Amino acid sequence: MPGPTLVFLHALGASAREWRQVVDALPDHDCVALDLPGFGDAADAGQADVETLTDWLADEIRSRDLTACVLVGHSMGGKIVTLVAARAAAGEIGLSGVLGVVLVAASPPAPEPMDEDRRAEMIGWFADGQIACEDAATFVDANTATPLTGSFRDHAIDDVLRSSRDAWVGWLERGSREDWSADAGRISIPALILAGAEDGDLGEDAQRRLNLPHYATAVVKTVEGAAHLIPYEQPQRLAALICDHATAVAHAMLPQDFARLLGSDRVSHRTRGVMLDRMRPPPARAAIWTDEHSTTVASLVAQILPDCGTDRDLADRILAGIAEGTGDGWRFAVLPPDAEAWERGLATLNAATGGFFMLAPDAQSEWLDRIASGAVGIEEDEAHLSPAQMTLWFEDVRAETVRVWISLPSTMAAIGYDGFAVGGDGRRKQGYTCTGAGDREAWQPSAERRS
Amino acid sequence: MAALGGASVLRTPRHAANDVVDAVVIGTGAGGAPLAARLAQAGLSVVALEAGRAFRPDEHVADEVAADIYWMEERLSGGSTPTAFGSNNSGMGVGGSTLHWGAFCPRPDARDLRLKTLTGEGADWPIAHAELVRYIAEVEQDTGVSGPADYPWDPGRRYAYPPVARNASADAMARGCEAVGITATDAPAALVSRDRDQPHWGQRQACVNCGTCHQGCRNAAKTSMDTTYLPVAVAHGAEIRAGARVVSFAFDGSGRINAVVYHQDGEERRQRCAAVFLCAGGVETPRLLLNLGIANSSGQVGRNFMAHVATQVWGRFDAEMRMNRGYPSSLISEDMMRPGDAGCAGGYLIQSLGVLPVNLATGLARGAGLWGERLQTILRGYNRMAGIGINGECLPHADNRLTLADEVDGFGHRKARIDFSYHANEQAIDRHARRTLTDIWAAAGAQDIFAVDRSAHTIGTCRMGHDGDAAVVDPDGRSFDVPNLLICDNSVFPSALAANPALTIMALSLRTADRFLASRF
Repeated sequence: MPGPTLVFLHALGASAREWRQVVDALPDHDCVALDLPGFGDAADAGQADVETLTDWLADEIRSRDLTACVLVGHSMGGKIVTLVAARAAAGEIGLSGVLGVVLVAASPPAPEPMDEDRRAEMIGWFADGQIACEDAATFVDANTATPLTGSFRDHAIDDVLRSSRDAWVGWLERGSREDWSADAGRISIPALILAGAEDGDLGEDAQRRLNLPHYATAVVKTVEGAAHLIPYEQPQRLAALICDHATAVAHAMLPQDFARLLGSDRVSHRTRGVMLDRMRPPPARAAIWTDEHSTTVASLVAQILPDCGTDRDLADRILAGIAEGTGDGWRFAVLPPDAEAWERGLATLNAATGGFFMLAPDAQSEWLDRIASGAVGIEEDEAHLSPAQMTLWFEDVRAETVRVWISLPSTMAAIGYDGFAVGGDGRRKQGYTCTGAGDREAWQPSAERRS
Repeated sequence: MAALGGASVLRTPRHAANDVVDAVVIGTGAGGAPLAARLAQAGLSVVALEAGRAFRPDEHVADEVAADIYWMEERLSGGSTPTAFGSNNSGMGVGGSTLHWGAFCPRPDARDLRLKTLTGEGADWPIAHAELVRYIAEVEQDTGVSGPADYPWDPGRRYAYPPVARNASADAMARGCEAVGITATDAPAALVSRDRDQPHWGQRQACVNCGTCHQGCRNAAKTSMDTTYLPVAVAHGAEIRAGARVVSFAFDGSGRINAVVYHQDGEERRQRCAAVFLCAGGVETPRLLLNLGIANSSGQVGRNFMAHVATQVWGRFDAEMRMNRGYPSSLISEDMMRPGDAGCAGGYLIQSLGVLPVNLATGLARGAGLWGERLQTILRGYNRMAGIGINGECLPHADNRLTLADEVDGFGHRKARIDFSYHANEQAIDRHARRTLTDIWAAAGAQDIFAVDRSAHTIGTCRMGHDGDAAVVDPDGRSFDVPNLLICDNSVFPSALAANPALTIMALSLRTADRFLASRF
């Protein structure tokens, strides 16, 4: 499977052209650089407000049938990317392919910090309908750490010159000032947040303050040798960072037919949202779990579901659920509360085996047989579990492992399950029209066909 | 035709805390909702308190892990065959367990209500079968049930709606049953196979075979209290308060409850009342009484806990079964209601099974003791798996009971501990069922057949009876100790009945209301 498609959104006064060097440095990726309405080749489209821009980007993703993509937003484009990511994470139809976000010196959902004199000056440049060439050059040069050279500077200036006045002024007067932070909320899609080391108002501090809180899983990185026009200033470095992030989120890619179904009107936004949440990285490890806990659980995963191998990601999801303590409504009366039972169970397992994860798989398997038959445990010890307790705890471990595994969208895709796609948000729910053995409806993906 | 209904059952408050309402109903499931409707229709002032929140049907989520309609507060399960709770049993939300129930609604067998008389085992019901069935027919009429035109085990029975489509498991069961000489037919299902205009609520749409009954019906095809009886109650003046968790009662000098104390929106509130109907289900009802130390002069509160033997048999088919499609339990057999050679009192119903992946996976990991290659292979072959299961009689046993654990919940109440062990009767039913189901499945063409241990439903913890020394409530559901406390849910069942309990609970609910009204006027 090729990696996710990279979708690029440019800054104020720029165009798709600002990404040319970045895209050239990403030859292995499908790249789509868009002109925002009012800019570049879309300058005639005139001004679009934030809501319209967000709808426009969402529609672009849908109409291009992007079943796996990473959204890259520069400055003004970053605000639009974040707002679309929020809608994708909440389960909006057709956006389930949004797997990752890269913000490049991005404008935040909240009002963008901007010196008011500078704002007034920039608006003034377009006072008579058309910006002067030297003002456009001033703008470009002011946003770079060192002036761009040659044709790149000409492109950047030319893009400012061909911007729609309404789009330029509309962003500065309204779009950049609108507060969408409540709508953005906290987004589960993993983000890479980049700041130019020499940027002003949208530098690292602003990124940490205004963009980082909107993402559940995000890292902030600083790009040296750049101010605000990072795609022009450090295209190679930027491309490498985008590539790394795209690779990191690619594990969440789903087979195309499955992803298309998940994004379709057969799925309710609520169902889509909860399924997408499970594709995100597991939450940070809870304080009660050590690396050894995680490694041991991964070894148990490999025994319970051999195809998964020692899946650390799955192990961490399991441990996160246990630490969270949401539970499943009951527990065995002879076991302590879940988190304690798992701590003691894992301790008992490692004490009895001298380090479970270090054993060969066959030896591990034999130990599990013995645990299931009630032959392994430490009696009357507050840090361990008795043999009878170990048997029941191992039952819990099996159940929790398969529960977490089989509820992953990637597993549903692998086993050919489509029971989530039985009713969207319309007035009539679709359900199934065929229920007999061997019958299949045209919309149903086929796991067999893929494998 | 009207749009999908959805009149909210939550309205602005109608009663002040100091109004003495005629009845406070605790719990809005199968036990509480029908009686709330009937009392309100009779002109009584009614406030129903529900611990969970209110849902619109299309808010339900077609995902096993995310569905949020179950009672998920922790219960401790002990004994040699501990029973699972959580999504397996009680519900939480306006509508209670009917939000997630399977809607499989066979009527109770007449012999099951006279189990003691006929077999010397278990207990008789203090209610005649004919009387109970009159109420059941009324519930079927009120809510709309789909079923076969001819019911082999009760020729006179008629259902309002034609049966829903059989799914692949049902077709396989029909095939297997025919081959081994067992009669099977379309199951009675508490859902509508045609659009229905439900009085005081609106359009309930025909079942679309989506298969997610247990995650909440999104088009109101399935009978759920929030789309049937509760709207009737509200239309007749009842007030339903969601997110209202009952914690205690206030009593007057004569031992009558004069107010119900509950938590809502982070504060303690109370509602003065003349009578209380406790309808919180087979676990929360006895748990509240035990925590408060009331209504238990018999010592029977929490005793006689019963869970149906719910053994399943699974197998792999050559064809793609995709058993998540369609109404899950679309075929039934009552042929084993008295399996002569089984060595048990009572018997069992057989049903076809369609379960979703998480349910299958955890069932195999727990109830079949599987892990490793075999488990993985079966789960990867989900689309070719299909099963059949039973619902079998369980007798009361002295060691099967609900008690209070030392741990407390967020309201300071001690958690429930339920000890449950199969005894000879349940073991006999399990053994017989394994054999029968395996034969059916082999005849149907299943391969790699295996059984899963499972029990279901929470029954019998506040038994009804004639004798205040041996029962918690009288045949009308009234506490022997607290004269204005009535109980109506599966806790009052004297015996388990092989039939799934919800239909009987709804019928008892109407009856409890009628008896209460008769005693009052």
